Amino acid sequence: MTTNKFRLSRRAVIRGAGTIAIGLPWLECMEDDVKAQAAPATAQRFVGVYQPGGTVIDKWRPTGSESAPVYGTILAPLEPVKDKLIVVDGLEMKSAIGEQHQSGMVAFLTGAVQAVAQKYSASRPGADSASLDQIIASKISKNVKPMASLQVAVRWATGKSHGLLSPINALNFEDTTANAPMPPRLEPSEIWTALFGRLSPMTATMDEALLRKKSILDFVDKRYTALATRMGASDRAKLEDHLDKIREIENGLTETGMPVIAACKPPTLIDTSDYNAKSGLNSADDGSLKDTQTDQAIPKVGTLMMDMLVMALACERTAVATLQWSDSEAKHTFPWLNLSEHHHYYQHDGGFNAPACEKIAIWYSQMHLHLLQSMAAVDMGGHTLLDESVVLFGSEISDPPTHKKQNMPFLVAGNGGGLRTGRWLKYSGGSHSNLLVSILNLFGDSRSKFGNTQYCDGPLTSPSLT
Amino acid sequence: MERKAVVGGRWARTPFALLGVLASCLAGCSTTIVRDAPSGDPGGSAGATSPSATGGSSGALGGSANGAGGSSSVNGGASAGQSTGGNSASSGGTGSSGGTGATGGSGTTAPPQSQCADQSAVMPGRAPLRRLTKVEYNNTVRDLLGDTTQPAYALPTELSGNGFGNDADQQPVPEVLAEGYESLAADIASRMTASPTLLGALDACASNPTSASESSCARTIIQKFVPKAYRRPLATGEADDYAALYQSVRANDTFASAIAAVIEAVLQSPEFLYRVEFGVADAANPSLKRPTGYEMATRLSYFFWKTMPDAELTAAAERGDLGTSSGVRAQAERLVADAKTRDTVRFFFEGLLPLTGVTDEARDPLQYPSFSSAIGALMLTETRTYLDYEVFDGPGTWSGILTEPYTFVNQTLATYYGIPGVTGDSFQKVPVDTTQRLGLLTQGAIMTGTTVTNFTNPVRRGAFILNQLMCRNLQVPIGLMVTPPDPYSAATARERYSLHSKNSACAGCHQQLDPMGFPFENYDAVGLYRTTENGETIDASGAVPDMDDGEVSGPLELIQKLAQNDEVQACFASKWLDFGYGQTLNGGSPDDVCTREALAAKFREGGFNVKNLLVELTQTDGFLYLGAQE
Repeated sequence: MTTNKFRLSRRAVIRGAGTIAIGLPWLECMEDDVKAQAAPATAQRFVGVYQPGGTVIDKWRPTGSESAPVYGTILAPLEPVKDKLIVVDGLEMKSAIGEQHQSGMVAFLTGAVQAVAQKYSASRPGADSASLDQIIASKISKNVKPMASLQVAVRWATGKSHGLLSPINALNFEDTTANAPMPPRLEPSEIWTALFGRLSPMTATMDEALLRKKSILDFVDKRYTALATRMGASDRAKLEDHLDKIREIENGLTETGMPVIAACKPPTLIDTSDYNAKSGLNSADDGSLKDTQTDQAIPKVGTLMMDMLVMALACERTAVATLQWSDSEAKHTFPWLNLSEHHHYYQHDGGFNAPACEKIAIWYSQMHLHLLQSMAAVDMGGHTLLDESVVLFGSEISDPPTHKKQNMPFLVAGNGGGLRTGRWLKYSGGSHSNLLVSILNLFGDSRSKFGNTQYCDGPLTSPSLT
Repeated sequence: MERKAVVGGRWARTPFALLGVLASCLAGCSTTIVRDAPSGDPGGSAGATSPSATGGSSGALGGSANGAGGSSSVNGGASAGQSTGGNSASSGGTGSSGGTGATGGSGTTAPPQSQCADQSAVMPGRAPLRRLTKVEYNNTVRDLLGDTTQPAYALPTELSGNGFGNDADQQPVPEVLAEGYESLAADIASRMTASPTLLGALDACASNPTSASESSCARTIIQKFVPKAYRRPLATGEADDYAALYQSVRANDTFASAIAAVIEAVLQSPEFLYRVEFGVADAANPSLKRPTGYEMATRLSYFFWKTMPDAELTAAAERGDLGTSSGVRAQAERLVADAKTRDTVRFFFEGLLPLTGVTDEARDPLQYPSFSSAIGALMLTETRTYLDYEVFDGPGTWSGILTEPYTFVNQTLATYYGIPGVTGDSFQKVPVDTTQRLGLLTQGAIMTGTTVTNFTNPVRRGAFILNQLMCRNLQVPIGLMVTPPDPYSAATARERYSLHSKNSACAGCHQQLDPMGFPFENYDAVGLYRTTENGETIDASGAVPDMDDGEVSGPLELIQKLAQNDEVQACFASKWLDFGYGQTLNGGSPDDVCTREALAAKFREGGFNVKNLLVELTQTDGFLYLGAQE
């Protein structure tokens, strides 16, 4: 591996060596924990995927046996990656307490209780309010990679969220601040620039621009530091949190060029001008109409989002990413499936329409196949990106007409942390928090509870994920 | 949030004490009713604030409301978290009627004697650090730099928080936001320094500076621009710091780029992005703090206009006019009369009412052939125009808004409603058929906006009135599966939803919700008037819960009752407090409760005039004084 004016900060190297075994040969050489070699290598990357509106369980559930599942119509598109997949069947999202859809959004990655509709519970006793992805990011990505984590969403903030971040649509919660939901990135071209905009070799002009930017951020940093000391504890915490984020930007600037990584092949930024990423947002001010043009572009944009996400990992921009397909309102249409009403309409707004919901779920499986195959196609030096990753796929409910949270349709893919794939794991009603803590364990975090502890019995054991 | 002891229990009986009657819902229904976010239990209402009152204590809740007359426990009762008890609905009913009588919850009974009436104690409430919202950022860079591109819409979305997106306690900073501020600042700064003309707009010296004049010109710009952006005079050394930044960038870069760097830094600084308040000791009572004149100018300006102070406000601050309630009032009266306040009022109503979704609603074209999202957009314009006229050009009262016998339509919308004699695209004031409609709530936008499917849902409409207009904050029951009834199970909504009154577990809440929703059954899923559904005559009778003589035969009577209801009036003022102060006022805080009560009283004295209410919002302890640093 060669570098082009690449400089990895000393802090990053220390953190990298101390916490993870990065799949790059020169860092593996630095790994000095002999015991770590004996146990299965910890997982290197985490990807979370959210699909709204649950599934049609009898079309989703496999038949056959644990080691030889036969997929039904909804999972059938995933047949080509079956050996890289675990179908996690029968868990209940017990912590999803609150509004029907919203509580599922809150609980999916946090295992925490919402309690009050439209709001987040002011205090969630016993809960770590952070989401799984952010806890993993703190562990393996923050201050190691230029970006702590990447959150992207397709056709997001539809319907009644009024363009505001709310339990209707938020999936990720900060690890460092309590009850702080995070908005995803929405605009494909902006995401491309943030991820791959500085991959080309540095020029003198770019160096100067970076230097200028550093002076400004350094100045701003001092303003926050100075003002924070004059505030009371709670306001000081707000400013310090803001400062922390400014420092993340500064941290990204210390890198004055990108390493040349063989696996890193940024996707072509296709024309997405027909897609309005902000459709539905800021609707308080302009009132937005049904946006069929943007809906029509969802498959194209979604594919680009997945391609960017995969390359963000392969290019070492970050180690943690989540992709959100819409939100729990799911108020967009599917013109390419000849479904002219929105997803929520088929779930129950217009009465449960099982064939339409099945059709939509099948399409999401096709999209997920693309993600997993793309990850499996990236050679990370003797193994694939999928081999070292854990990819969790889930929804906020299981059954569209009743909003039930039993028999949640979860999928886990990849072999990170020694996952044993190619299986169909049947549970009879255990808490999905057990799945979350099991995944956390794959990343070398040994805690036995996660989220609201009363809804977590500990890692999945019979059968276990590994 | 409770920082001081209750002052003589004087906050116990307020119009909001009415909320104690909600225990009636708790008793009969497995549900959650949360009034604000109770963080303390100042009334000492043991048990009632328990997050999980069970079984027999449900009855106790009803009893608590029942005894609300002189007991300070009533607020605590209202703030009860979750009841899992299955006590009978009848015990709730008892609590309900008892609460009503004791607290005077009807429109005809005089409000109870206030216990917050002691004018000598100042109760300022909280003053958490506030970040500019996207709308505020847009307006501020418009007034600061002439940038009219509304750049902040590119920032990530805000948390809904108090329902208006400006809750100071719910403004986390994700990295993508910090990045957004960074790129906005760079973008704005480079646009504003892109030509000698634009540089000259910052100060004439900058349009054609020489190497000899550059650095003094930069200093001039800093001293002119930064105080405006900070909304206060600069402290010692602040101008020097910016001059040093200018110099360090100028060493490698052009003059324009170095000036841009100053602007870029200012736009990311906490003094610009946050509304920082340190306050000064009150001249009359040095143990209290007031916002400084500049901080008060900022409060006033962001409250009325959602932007930075104008020159006149800054001048008033400089003169020291804003350290008294009369000085603040004089400015408030000037600000409320300005057109910029209209945008703020519109913004408020769009947070309060189910309006923004109305242009998104999809309906079955076979069932509703005349409706389309374009009609939805016209309905939105109708309601916006009506509210704007009513508040600023018409009688201007909240009760009037609820009951006026006219609306605003253009030809297309008039045809849709069946109003004759309207031509053209512009919206005009027309009388409505007062046997069918009255005021805001019967307008198409509200009736369509409270319906999410092809079928009306009386529960949703009832919940909208109870939560948004009466501040009852009923929540969907936790752990209870809520499925709307099969739309084909019966001809009318009342029959379809009849299970609620048959099942005692549901009845506790639905005896409030459903009678409030059924009268609106005269308006279909697209806001058109009807008297039958599937060939059956609609029974549109209902009731305002906990109101003496609250029974109504149909929507028009319901509207009239609501317009006379104390709870509705007090709630309107309370929503303005949340929105105007950028917080969620806390029913558990004596300061907040008394501020609410004082404002509700002023609202009543002012004949429920909305503009007057806005001015009175600047006359509370919460606005005029500064709470302890947080």
